[in-house]
Amino acid sequence: MPPAIHPVDLVEVLRSKRLTPAIVFLTSRRACDEAIDGFAYRSTPIPPTRSAAIAQVLKQVATEYPSIADHPLTQTVQQYGVAAHHAGHLPSWKIAIEELMRNGCLDAVFATTTLAAGVDFPARSVVITQSSVRKARDFADLTIGEIQQLGGRGGRRGKDLVGFVVITPSPYIDVHVLARGLTRYPEAIDSQFVVSYPMVLNLLKAHALDHIQPILAKSFAQFQLNKRAETLEEQLDALHVTMQPFGPRECMDWISQWQAFDQAKKRKTQRCSIELQDAPDVKARWPFLTLGRVAGLSKGRGIVLRQYRSKNRRQAMLSVLREQGNIIESPAHIVTQVFDHVVELEEFRRFPWCTPASMDNALHQLQELPRRLRPLPILMEKDDIDPPMLTDVLQEEFPCPTCPSQKACRRDYPQALRLRQEQHRLTKTIQALHSELWHRFHEHIEVLQRFGYLTPTCQLTEDGEWARLIRINHSLLLTELIRMDAFTGIPPSLLVGVLASISHDDDRPGAFPRRSSELGTLLRQVRTLAETLAPDEDPPLLRSDVAALAEYWVNNPAESWAQVIRKTTMAEGDVYRLLARTLEYLSQFRTLKATHPGLADIADQAMALMRRDVLEELP
Amino acid sequence: MTKDELAKRLEHQSLRQLHRLAKDRVSRHIRMGKTRLIQSLLQLPPEMYIQISHEMQALHSQPKPAAKRLSTAKPQTPSARTPRRSPETSTSSPSDPLTTMGELLDGIGVPAPASFVPDAWQEEAIAYLTSSDVIVSVPTGSGKTYVALEAIRRAIENERTVIYTSPLKALSNTKLTEFSHIFGADQVGILTGDRKDNPHAPVLIMTTEILRNLLYDATSGEIDVRLDTLGLVIMDESQYLADPERGVVWEETIIFCPTQARLLLLSASIGNPEEIAAWMTSIRSTPCQLISHRNRSVPLRGGYLHPNGKLTPLFKTKEIAQGKGYAFHPETKRLFAQYESETLGGRYRR
Repeated sequence: MPPAIHPVDLVEVLRSKRLTPAIVFLTSRRACDEAIDGFAYRSTPIPPTRSAAIAQVLKQVATEYPSIADHPLTQTVQQYGVAAHHAGHLPSWKIAIEELMRNGCLDAVFATTTLAAGVDFPARSVVITQSSVRKARDFADLTIGEIQQLGGRGGRRGKDLVGFVVITPSPYIDVHVLARGLTRYPEAIDSQFVVSYPMVLNLLKAHALDHIQPILAKSFAQFQLNKRAETLEEQLDALHVTMQPFGPRECMDWISQWQAFDQAKKRKTQRCSIELQDAPDVKARWPFLTLGRVAGLSKGRGIVLRQYRSKNRRQAMLSVLREQGNIIESPAHIVTQVFDHVVELEEFRRFPWCTPASMDNALHQLQELPRRLRPLPILMEKDDIDPPMLTDVLQEEFPCPTCPSQKACRRDYPQALRLRQEQHRLTKTIQALHSELWHRFHEHIEVLQRFGYLTPTCQLTEDGEWARLIRINHSLLLTELIRMDAFTGIPPSLLVGVLASISHDDDRPGAFPRRSSELGTLLRQVRTLAETLAPDEDPPLLRSDVAALAEYWVNNPAESWAQVIRKTTMAEGDVYRLLARTLEYLSQFRTLKATHPGLADIADQAMALMRRDVLEELP
Repeated sequence: MTKDELAKRLEHQSLRQLHRLAKDRVSRHIRMGKTRLIQSLLQLPPEMYIQISHEMQALHSQPKPAAKRLSTAKPQTPSARTPRRSPETSTSSPSDPLTTMGELLDGIGVPAPASFVPDAWQEEAIAYLTSSDVIVSVPTGSGKTYVALEAIRRAIENERTVIYTSPLKALSNTKLTEFSHIFGADQVGILTGDRKDNPHAPVLIMTTEILRNLLYDATSGEIDVRLDTLGLVIMDESQYLADPERGVVWEETIIFCPTQARLLLLSASIGNPEEIAAWMTSIRSTPCQLISHRNRSVPLRGGYLHPNGKLTPLFKTKEIAQGKGYAFHPETKRLFAQYESETLGGRYRR
């Protein structure tokens, strides 16, 4: 969301209070670009002497980076002394803006908050317009560290006596988040250690499996895990002390003994109670006690409204409408007789279980019924044989019923059990903390063994030897593609297209519809493979528009950067990053010269074809 | 005490007090009404009457047992809350003079040109580097680069190679230009994924990923000459250690960094630099020294700019200080509340 104040007014105020030069952090690239557009409509140009100074600096930068010479934004920058600086711009343009800032030529730079670390130039003031940023797909509050990173740009050492942070509201802003961020100490940072396939291969290349665990133990991740384990160990020690009164008694492990005994006892009583619950007469009558059935109760008669089981003991229960007109909820055994008479009732989901009209009717019928009614003949099963005496059985299996410390055990058991469970939980957690990284490492070893990069004894196979040189994201997908000979003998432009689409992980929409059919086929193959690998490695986005764009760049060496950019909706900074990343991927393929000379050769050609125009400016 | 006397006195008790008296004496007393409570209390053996009447007196001497129970619970909640709130609100007592706009904008300007004198902490960091690893965690813009430059200068004098890593290619390029100006273009090289410019220069700039790959190649036997003479590794923006995707690369680099090379970690302010120093001390051959402070070299002030163009001080105090909490300037508070009510921003916040 753009700030509530118009950027032109904002810069006006800053100028009038002598707070320029300033960096204005905005939410999105679009907001930055729109802010600059606003100046062209509303603002008055800066004095010609200053414009000349800007032109001078830009000209100087252009000698090194020709791509900025005829940059479309040059005019606005020279005329109004403001500029935008975000990831959508070419690196060379950003360098030019930074150079202008360093020379004090600009009044304001509009930048996005997301890349605060990439903004490596100070100003007198920093304007913050938001308290949250888009992280992944969601908005999250800025952390204290991030806010201080932003605020830290205010005040240039040696050029300013004081620096300023100016907060101006935009929709959704929370000033407290910002105030806290400016005044509190930054957050502690936590390890983000993850095990990757290249890591496993490279470590196993250099070290035997036995030596890996000490290496993993050197990580900051393990250091922090150990710290957590230490506090848990302290808790565990304290627990040992509280456990002391519950040491060995008649039997060594009386808690387990009593637990087993207790459970056996419960199981037995439960079985008995189920049998008791459904007394044979109730069981026999139960199917007949349906809605509208007239039944003889221990006192008087009634109409059954519903049957259900009690919540706790699952006892058979009935709701019965009695002659007096009241509804009672009672265990089913109050029914002494079931009559061969059913009153018509309309069922209803809630109390009183039937529609009021039909109930009135039924009640009337019940009161009018003749004194003698024919009972339903119900066949009753003979009662089961009594269950064997509980304690007898338990006595055979357990010493507890006759044990002298039985009383103490019974008393202490709940507390002792709780403590012991806590003890087990802590021990387990501590173990997990110590072995977590090693466990994750092992999971990766198993996958690599399955794919044949590692032998069962954890040596690198022939494939593993070269696969370890691919040290980028989606390494498993890439090495599998190489093993499938997917790239053998293909033209460089296809390789570029596929690698571009694997490397690109941004989901900002772009459009570039034309791609060769060969590239389409190859991409489909890659996608199928990526899907089968999905359980072991997150698949890349595999966008075909970026693949097409990269392919086009290679296939049309005569077209300039500006011409290519006009063919896509992607920002040129994004295109630059896409191609630069593809170059990085290609350079990894080039390292496979020894084992895959053909592929390395194609990669070499592809790199040569890609490096032209803007991509040649920066190392 | 007779039964009648007790009955009379019990009559005057409130239901709650009767329940307290019946507790542990009468079973299921909680379900009883007043009359039944009194009845069942009177049915107790006569020797307990004395005890009950004593307790009754005790209950009266500390009036309203229910209120008492509440009052034991109540102070806990505010006391649990106060330490959290107090640093934010209590810093400036009402008697503190409020900053005015004039004061806020007073003193803007360019300092008189003075010859650069390094701060004590900068000297200290450079001195430590001769014998140990160093972490520098200071606020943005307080002069970490000076430490890096001076360390590089000394390493060049001792004919050791320096590797300087940054998280972003864009920063690498900026540093390349900067270092080339200072040390001479032939002294500085850059390595990127696909390109090597002047790779045998004494100062090499690269992204952390590239250094990690170099170190992996070195550990698996493919010795790189550059690592043999390596004397110093500078890792800029080390707070990337906490980056969800790339943090692991920083860890790998620190773990596999050759023992003969000193490590210099430059980082913005972070919460636990001590922990990272302790970690590095535990895995590296030399202890790691920590240089950490929170003082900005240029004082920072806060302003609030209302959409109508009015600028007010952000806080009651002029300068933004850390760790002391904050209190908004009343005018700012009023203006912001006005903004929120106008835009309904307050109500529809996420």
